Amino acid sequence: MQIWLIPAYILLILTGVFLLYLAFKTEDRRYIYLAVAFYVIFPVLITLKLPIDISPEARQLYDAVESLPDSSTVLLTFDYYPSTVAETEPMSRAALRHLFGKDCRVLTLTTVPLGGPSIAERVTREIAKEFGKVYGVDYANLGFKYNYVAVLKGMGNSIEAIYPADNSGTPLSEIPMMADIKNYNDIDFIFLVSDNGVVDYWISIVNAQYGIRVGSGVTAVMAPKFYAYIGSGQMTGLLGGMKGAAEYELLVHKPDTAVKGMTAQSLVHLFIILSVIAGNIVFLSGKRRRKRGAA
Amino acid sequence: MNLVDFLQIWIIAFFTLSLFSFLYRDNPFYKLAEHIFAGLSAGYYVGLIWHSIILQQMINPMFDNGKWYLVFPGLLGVLMFSRFFKKYHWISRISLAFVMGNTAGIFLLSELHGKVLPQMQSTMNSLVPGRGVGGYILGLIVVVGVLSTLLYFYFSREHKGLLGGTAKVGIWFIMVSFGAHFGYTVMARISLLIGRVQFLINDWCGSIIGLFS
Amino acid sequence: MIVAFFFNPERSFVGGLESEVLSWVTIVGGFTLLLGVVSLVRVNYSAVKRKSEDWIFKLATLISVFVMAIPAILPKNVSSLFGRDVGSIYDWLFNYVDAPMMSTMFAMLAFYIASAAFRAFRARNAEATLLLVTATLVMLWRVPMGEIALKSIHANLPYLINTYIMNGANLAVQRGIIIGAALGAAAMSLRIMLGIERTYMGK
Repeated sequence: MQIWLIPAYILLILTGVFLLYLAFKTEDRRYIYLAVAFYVIFPVLITLKLPIDISPEARQLYDAVESLPDSSTVLLTFDYYPSTVAETEPMSRAALRHLFGKDCRVLTLTTVPLGGPSIAERVTREIAKEFGKVYGVDYANLGFKYNYVAVLKGMGNSIEAIYPADNSGTPLSEIPMMADIKNYNDIDFIFLVSDNGVVDYWISIVNAQYGIRVGSGVTAVMAPKFYAYIGSGQMTGLLGGMKGAAEYELLVHKPDTAVKGMTAQSLVHLFIILSVIAGNIVFLSGKRRRKRGAA
Repeated sequence: MNLVDFLQIWIIAFFTLSLFSFLYRDNPFYKLAEHIFAGLSAGYYVGLIWHSIILQQMINPMFDNGKWYLVFPGLLGVLMFSRFFKKYHWISRISLAFVMGNTAGIFLLSELHGKVLPQMQSTMNSLVPGRGVGGYILGLIVVVGVLSTLLYFYFSREHKGLLGGTAKVGIWFIMVSFGAHFGYTVMARISLLIGRVQFLINDWCGSIIGLFS
Repeated sequence: MIVAFFFNPERSFVGGLESEVLSWVTIVGGFTLLLGVVSLVRVNYSAVKRKSEDWIFKLATLISVFVMAIPAILPKNVSSLFGRDVGSIYDWLFNYVDAPMMSTMFAMLAFYIASAAFRAFRARNAEATLLLVTATLVMLWRVPMGEIALKSIHANLPYLINTYIMNGANLAVQRGIIIGAALGAAAMSLRIMLGIERTYMGK
């Protein structure tokens, strides 16, 4: 680590503390906004390389995918809106790198109408180019169909009944890899990347009724809920938020945006903890003073 | 960097900074960005539904594969628009009933089979012997936590006596879970900001630096 | 749907019937997304017509809807700018205007949550204190700097947080909520099927 980083980060922390003091004094929340902006911008400019521990849940997902025979068929979902790409797109990229690296055939789809199909198209084509993968032979994008409950249930019988054509309008019968992928029986693993409640239905409809293993990467807001599914064995592995994405990037040996974002994440978390503690100290000391005054 | 890429980055940066300007105070740039965002999102749905549903699932199968019966779901879909006419809005209930009935039928069994039974099974298995002291303590935490949480949300009886005591334990468990949720939520929100700042610093500022280098 | 659950779809006619019904549902449901668009256009059009407050911004909304929608519906064999493929106006507007704005809208929440943490999160009683302590531990555990700090107190502290907080208390509560919500959803489905529940029809 470069030695000049230490005084730079100390100065940054002191700036944040000073802005917090100003926020207390003037009761103007814009000082808090300024402090948060500082703590995000500075580490993006000057990144600190920090050790990132791999959680057991991320390791479980990685091992599940790693244990798949090469040239397995994996269904990768892009069930997220553009609003959460900072957390979820790194997961999709790392997952695609892992799957393409193992020569798995990747079938992508989305149950999110606003942006899901476009994101799936952009990300898969970009990563497929890195590995020299061919559309229609190594991967295909089914796009979006409305009513995810009907879609999840319908694909159990026939994928073509729900998706007669792929996202670009090419009939499935004209896509080579779809010749032997008819329904869930022909899929070896489902890798969900999601920012909404559709994960529950993948578990309760697809995993419960068809027995296919499901692993997922979700936003940090949703992650605590799915520990229940990990515990019951209904979900094989879980990535939670940007930290989860960073863990998977390290596991596939391709650190990217999520790993780079961890320094900023650390600083802002520490700042928020400091604000909560400082706010409570002021609150409790004020409460004590009022009690003494009343007595 | 070519001119097209440069302009694209600047357009994204303009709208990003317009939206961020609201943090200082409301202003016309923010309002413009917000309204354009609403319009483009609505327009996106039109293109998506036209291609994914109307063309791929109705018109092409009807004309290419002779599936003329698909005019019926199309008709049901069009009937939805009767909601905009006060006199005829009741017609849309036919389409709604079709969708709701289908979803209710799937949910009735999938919720019980896919969520209730596996979760109950896993809870009961938590106290299976042979997991060591640590495993047994964890199993006890899970069983007590699940039961006390379920009893806390049982409001058909007043929380007194044994029920009240168990509900109190449930509250403590719920506070721990909500605390974990809060921690994760803070992480989620910060991550989204980091994503935007990474674009502004790496791509937008990078394009400015590229002009002078 | 209920009957089909108990049949093997590959060995009975029920499977084919179920597939057809489900594809019909996706078609009918797709039209409901357009309801929102029509409603938005109607509201903004009447506001522009009446020249109400901020009508110029509502005009921008209307123009945006048509600029996005019309090129998307035009046939792509006329021009590569039409349709939804990569390189079309639709794709460009989504990737370079709409999606970044959506990301930015949610990114602003970071500032609000920091402000809320500063102003509102107070340990007013024992339960709130427990919530805040847990939140602090989890916030530290989820970031590298925090993990280093926790390990400096005790090497196993991150493992204990993961095991007893996330996979212990949190798992138990989430399981209870999942069971309760699932039972509620199943009961609601039964009520809809029996005709007792009609709120979805507007009654």
